[in-house]
Amino acid sequence: MEYKLTIALPKGKLFAPTVSLLARAGLNTLDLSDESRTLVFEDSQNRVRFIICRSTDIPTYVEYGAADLGIVGKDSIVEAGKNLYELVDLKYGYCRFVIAAPSKDVPQEGEYPWKQGLRVATKFPAIAREYLQKKGFQGEIIKLHGNVELAPRVGLSEVIVDLVSTGKTLRENDLSALDTISEATARLVVNRASYRLKSREINELVNKIRENLSQ
Amino acid sequence: MSMINIWNTPAGMKDWLPGEACARRELMNRLLEKMALWGYEEITTPVLEYYQVLQKGEGTAQEDHLYKLIDRNGSILALRPEMTTPIARIASSKLPGKPPWRLMYGAQVFRYEDIQAGRQREFGQAGVELIGQTGPEADSEILALAIDALKAVGLEQFTVSLGHMGILRGLLESLSGEEEQLNSVRSLVLEKDFVGLNQLMEQSGLEGKSKEELIGLLTRQLTPADLAGCLKNPPSEIQKALVDLQAITELLEIQGHGSHIHIDLSTLRNQEYYTGMVFEIYTSGIGYPIGGGGRYDRLLEVFGRELPATGFALGIERILMSAAKNRDPKNTILVAGKNPRTVLRDCRGLREKGNTVIAETRNITREEAQVMAQERGFELQWRE
Repeated sequence: MEYKLTIALPKGKLFAPTVSLLARAGLNTLDLSDESRTLVFEDSQNRVRFIICRSTDIPTYVEYGAADLGIVGKDSIVEAGKNLYELVDLKYGYCRFVIAAPSKDVPQEGEYPWKQGLRVATKFPAIAREYLQKKGFQGEIIKLHGNVELAPRVGLSEVIVDLVSTGKTLRENDLSALDTISEATARLVVNRASYRLKSREINELVNKIRENLSQ
Repeated sequence: MSMINIWNTPAGMKDWLPGEACARRELMNRLLEKMALWGYEEITTPVLEYYQVLQKGEGTAQEDHLYKLIDRNGSILALRPEMTTPIARIASSKLPGKPPWRLMYGAQVFRYEDIQAGRQREFGQAGVELIGQTGPEADSEILALAIDALKAVGLEQFTVSLGHMGILRGLLESLSGEEEQLNSVRSLVLEKDFVGLNQLMEQSGLEGKSKEELIGLLTRQLTPADLAGCLKNPPSEIQKALVDLQAITELLEIQGHGSHIHIDLSTLRNQEYYTGMVFEIYTSGIGYPIGGGGRYDRLLEVFGRELPATGFALGIERILMSAAKNRDPKNTILVAGKNPRTVLRDCRGLREKGNTVIAETRNITREEAQVMAQERGFELQWRE
């Protein structure tokens, strides 16, 4: 089948609200699942193909044009640093990047004692580096792949940069946020060439999505 | 130190093997032949130039993407990242005769940046510059020639997204804000971060209605017919840009190229030297533009001569990716036989008639020659 559009959808916590939004926008999403072995689905009536991938890979799929559109958190867009067009803020999936330190190191009053040569554990080295540069702190970035909150407890780092939605993980690990680096929600992104070559199909879908965003 | 594998090349540098190299040269030649038919003359410039010269075309805001080195006198040199700035330098200083000049080039350029689809850090560009002529006539010539050249190499399905830097200038002028804020608007528009743009505009000093209109202009897709509707009340800089675009598209219609043109005012180019119409060319299957260009009336004065100019560059590797399917294989004749003298004599005659001929002068049997011809797709001519 010749597909009009290929849309990349993220596994994980953005998946459910994304599918529900696409259903409201008139696409057939009944078969979609992020737990099955199948990673490619189609809506034959609308001639749309869905691919399911890790949210951190979505910017890459869209940048190279393997998918025309993608739905992905702003956090993944920023960390990937890819060349994408960001069309719509979908408002769901709110989270924020924070820099946090063990609560015992954070004074009740006054500034956190930023010191030179600070070690920062994070899954998001690009975001952490940019923040340190903006603040003028010298630091060492330690890239981890998960459970970053462990690092300060065992002396691997003084602080962490991580993504939080409710702040529960921070509290449970006796960490306090020092600063919010940026806030993020889910975004609709589009490939540069598709934006031109399939403008009619894309605009149609974008309008339907805009109309159906939850208030 | 770990040993560098001596088969490696630096990241972003590519070898071109037989077949690929030939296809690339043929593509370049066909593009240049077409440009020559429009009266453009070839110009070449050095691969290495002074850093200060090349930097004039790079803008000031971010770090540049140049390969730099230092010569023995301590001057900083750089590999050329594009051809427009070197040509502007020449046109300002030593080009004989009077403008307008029509210049073309086919050259390798170097950019130290992330490797993208169909673009290494060294890549080929074919392009033209029309220097010393203003107005929509010159701009439409550049656009028509770009379309003509792509058709000449067998590309049919492509879209030229046409925009105008005056739109962005008008948008920035109409905003009351601090320098820093205006710079972020500029980069948000260039990166097509419409979400971020909306957020920033909400905080800026613009009243509701015109703000929405301006964002609408930049995010909607327009047809040439829509342009007339836009002309009513935008700020004067934007109005001038729209009039200019309308004139350009009318002239392209006359030349029969209207169907490829797609007005998209969000088309803007990163190089700070662009002042007027700008465009990018897209084809399906490649997520990046295969070419682009525009009007740059302020670049030559940087080199001391005030001349308007307009031009474009096409990305050779990206066009090769989209045109690759349409190549016919070349016919090669393998001449082999018992007596090398006969083979050599007969080859000469065949080549004079324009054939591609390989002289097989090793002492091989007819069967061996047949196997070789079959394996490589040659036509065998055996001489007893």
